[in-house]
Amino acid sequence: MRRSFGLLIASIAINTNLFAAEAGMPQLDPTYWASQAFWLILIFSILYISISRFYLPKIKDNLDNRENKIKEDLENANKFKEQSEDKLKEYEIILENAKKEVNKILFESKNILDKNIQSKKQSMEKEIEKEIAIAQQEITELKKKSISSIQNISENIASNIIENISGDKLNESSIKSAVEDISKKNIGKYL
Amino acid sequence: MQQFTVHKIGPEIKIGGIDLSFTNASLFMVISASIIILFLFLGSKEKKIIPNKTQLIAEMFYTFVAKMISDTAGSKAKPYFPFIFSLFMFVLFCNMVGMLPYSFTVTSHIIVTLILALFIFVAVTIIGFVKHGFKYLSIFVPSGVPAVLLPLITVIEIISYLSRPVSLSVRLFANMMAGHTMLKVFGGFVVSLGILGGWLPLSFSVALTGLEILVAFLQAYVFAILTCIYLNDALNLHH
Repeated sequence: MRRSFGLLIASIAINTNLFAAEAGMPQLDPTYWASQAFWLILIFSILYISISRFYLPKIKDNLDNRENKIKEDLENANKFKEQSEDKLKEYEIILENAKKEVNKILFESKNILDKNIQSKKQSMEKEIEKEIAIAQQEITELKKKSISSIQNISENIASNIIENISGDKLNESSIKSAVEDISKKNIGKYL
Repeated sequence: MQQFTVHKIGPEIKIGGIDLSFTNASLFMVISASIIILFLFLGSKEKKIIPNKTQLIAEMFYTFVAKMISDTAGSKAKPYFPFIFSLFMFVLFCNMVGMLPYSFTVTSHIIVTLILALFIFVAVTIIGFVKHGFKYLSIFVPSGVPAVLLPLITVIEIISYLSRPVSLSVRLFANMMAGHTMLKVFGGFVVSLGILGGWLPLSFSVALTGLEILVAFLQAYVFAILTCIYLNDALNLHH
């Protein structure tokens, strides 16, 4: 590394000697100054005119076009977004209405059902009451019948028992009155 | 230094005793300008919403320069946009074309950069006087300076104003010349050190070429942005 550095310095010396041998800076030689100035002004003017007349307006147009297009597209996108949001709102409203209607229908049908059930129940109850009343009547009739038949049976039984025990026939009417007496006393227990 | 010599191409053209012959410098000016025009032509030929590569690059140059102008000189500088765009493109492409081996770097000649700088200087001064009249002279009198220092500061301001064309032109010319001379020197080392020692300067040369391309772009940018700054001084007088 050190050696190459030394070589470098040596060759710098050689090279600068070489450069010194050449004649000065060509930049300071005024021979072609006028020519360079002339051509510079000419070429730069042409360049300037063509750029400012043709190319910059074109590029500017392009950029403006793109910007407008992007702006338009963004606006459209926003518009569509709003539209979709409106649609969504509409849809939600429709959904809500539908839900309300469903509730209403449910409520109404429930009411109708309730009424139907109520009326059916009432009619059934009436019928049942009727049946019960009929049954009760029948039962009371049966009871009345059974009381008279119980009296007859008990008279017979009583006369038979008395006959069997004493061997005498008692007066039927006295037995009847005694049975009636007892049954009157005890009939409240069974009816 | 041979790469900087100007020589005649074709017949001698003399107008009024002044030699205006077509030279290799003129040739490379024409080449650079043609490349710019061809590039811009291709870049603006198809008006596509989604640009192709050339169009994209041309539009990038456009927005780059437009942004540079609006950042430094504001919206008032809009009418001068085509000039600054052409200036930037011309200097950039002259620098870049000069990076090709065996080519000639137009901007490495003081006379070229000086004419550009002088034109800018004169134009900016005229714009300043047209826009503000004699109030433009207040550019030399900064506000908020103590009265004792004011004469000194004013003199310094005048000198710095007058040296603008020199600094602008010498900066570009010296950068381009120094870079190309360096490349030439290291190229010479590669040859003189031969196959054994030539690798180090060769790698330097490669690195320097990269640096020079950066410098070529940077100097074009600096040239254009300084023009914008001078224009800003002339357009927006607030010191």
